[in-house]
Amino acid sequence: MQAKNRVDSHNFLVLLHSQPGQNELEHLGNALARPGHPHMGVCMPKSGVKVRSSNLPALFMITPVQLMVISMIFIPVLYVGWLSLNESSFGQAPLFVGLDNYINVLSDPYFWKSLSNTVIVVLVVVHLELLLGVGVAMLFASGVPARPLMLAAVLAPYAVSEISAVVMWRYLFDYDVGFGTQFLSLLGLPLLEWSINPTHGLLLIALLSIWLHLPFTFVILYAARLAIPGDLYEAASVDGATAFQKFRRITLPLLMPAMLIAMLFRYIFAFRIFSEVWLLTGGGPARQTEVLAVYLYLEAFRYNAFGKAAATGWLLVIASLLLALWYLRRLYKEMFANYA
Amino acid sequence: MPDFLRKILKAIAVCLVLFWSLVPIVLIVVSSFKADKDIFSAPPQILFAPTFDNYVALWTRWGDFFHALLNSAIITVGATVLAVLSSALAGYAYSRFRHPALAGSAFFLIFVRLIPPIVVTLPLFPAVNAMGLNDTHILLIVLYATFFVSLGTLVMRTFMDQIPRELDEAAHIDGATRLQILRKIIFPLAAQGMVAVSVFVLVFSWNEFIFAFIFTTTNAKTAPLVISEMYGAVEGVEWGVLFAASTVQLLPVLLFVILAQKHLVAGLTAGATKG
Repeated sequence: MQAKNRVDSHNFLVLLHSQPGQNELEHLGNALARPGHPHMGVCMPKSGVKVRSSNLPALFMITPVQLMVISMIFIPVLYVGWLSLNESSFGQAPLFVGLDNYINVLSDPYFWKSLSNTVIVVLVVVHLELLLGVGVAMLFASGVPARPLMLAAVLAPYAVSEISAVVMWRYLFDYDVGFGTQFLSLLGLPLLEWSINPTHGLLLIALLSIWLHLPFTFVILYAARLAIPGDLYEAASVDGATAFQKFRRITLPLLMPAMLIAMLFRYIFAFRIFSEVWLLTGGGPARQTEVLAVYLYLEAFRYNAFGKAAATGWLLVIASLLLALWYLRRLYKEMFANYA
Repeated sequence: MPDFLRKILKAIAVCLVLFWSLVPIVLIVVSSFKADKDIFSAPPQILFAPTFDNYVALWTRWGDFFHALLNSAIITVGATVLAVLSSALAGYAYSRFRHPALAGSAFFLIFVRLIPPIVVTLPLFPAVNAMGLNDTHILLIVLYATFFVSLGTLVMRTFMDQIPRELDEAAHIDGATRLQILRKIIFPLAAQGMVAVSVFVLVFSWNEFIFAFIFTTTNAKTAPLVISEMYGAVEGVEWGVLFAASTVQLLPVLLFVILAQKHLVAGLTAGATKG
């Protein structure tokens, strides 16, 4: 049974949306909450019955998927690597320049600004999201009224497009009449001058990004929390543990694997943030709120500096893969162990 | 902590969560029925005379938007069908066959998914232009599907694993071809998984911005793009029309997510009662 329960943490919504009778959520939660349990995706049940025919049909079946991924992602990315070593623009033959593009990028103060902005936004967004996610998951686990409706409410931002979210949050923090602005002034807090002050701009970007992605983090953590056996808490109660002790000694350690997975995925996905920034501030004022993806876009499609953009792109790829190294290593080992 | 205090704190927490998730959405939807003077009145109007003016203005002055909405629908349906079918095929293969090459290809699928999408626009942009695929539906369909087949394959494999192997083996012995087994046995039994994958691809394709922004100009322009144009209009934002467009773009997919959640809620309740 356990073999089936190993699911990629990314599958969570899917499993929630399906198989109502089978209590998939609990399985998923089991997989996520068990410390040291492999929760990576493509791993086969070890006891699988061998289909007697050859493996040839399998190759045909994976062809469409592999073809798409190879032609639309893999080859283009390799080509970006090659482009990054060349000076090129539209309709112009690439000219090999070695590492010049990288030197140009790394000596561009706007690159470093966009890098530090990206790092700040990622750190703020992912950790606040995790904190909020744990909080909301705990709230749900302690029982909330009208749970189906509450769940629908918490997951609703998942359906919202980035542009609509930007419209919403910009309206909320309209400097003259926005609800958010009025709320801030009611509390006596400084107002968000997000279009003038880069720090405030990034803050609003972080806020709306958290709003958009909290459903993802929440569901992973909630599923993991549901999977913690109730008798652990009962036993702790018998021993006279306080609510805080239970959280500290039971909930937190058992939730940790799920938290790590959620955090890792959100690091990788928050790292590529583009639309929120582009639509809200366009990277301005004076290129002060640019993030890496916006920097890449501007270099390529506005300043026609294809080589520089390609170098940035290749750096993004390397950084993403480095972030994911731990996950990739586990995945690799597990997959080959299961196939051998 | 006294019991009543705990209850009050919890009520406050529940309100905060609802507030956080719903207020931005409700605000847009409600404001789309407000006249211009009510949209930016301070303090905000809770009671106001509802009007359809913004929707009329959207219809008469931004006919472009409805064309884009149609494009979004075509692209979303196309990407969903492509992603679900190809993922289901691959998911079946990964569920039923064993080979080191398959392990390698499965690993490759996930590895590639970790690459930031914007990077591929650099080489694809000239290539797409050269092939005359710029501003076409098919390009966005393939791109959106591509960025979801890795996840889709994982999900389908998980669902296929739950279908007893004995079923397809029995059919095999009875002389059914692979294709018949897939079509008559596996796909119907994995329908839940296929619905699940569609939820992901559909929500993503309907809302996607970067690729649409870079690869379309007029013909295949999608709804989020037109909304962003309204938002960035030089002569000042017409908020009422913008709210109306956002509402029209948001509501179908919001309803879809809420409907798909019924499965989720049923699963959760079952989980709670079983302990």
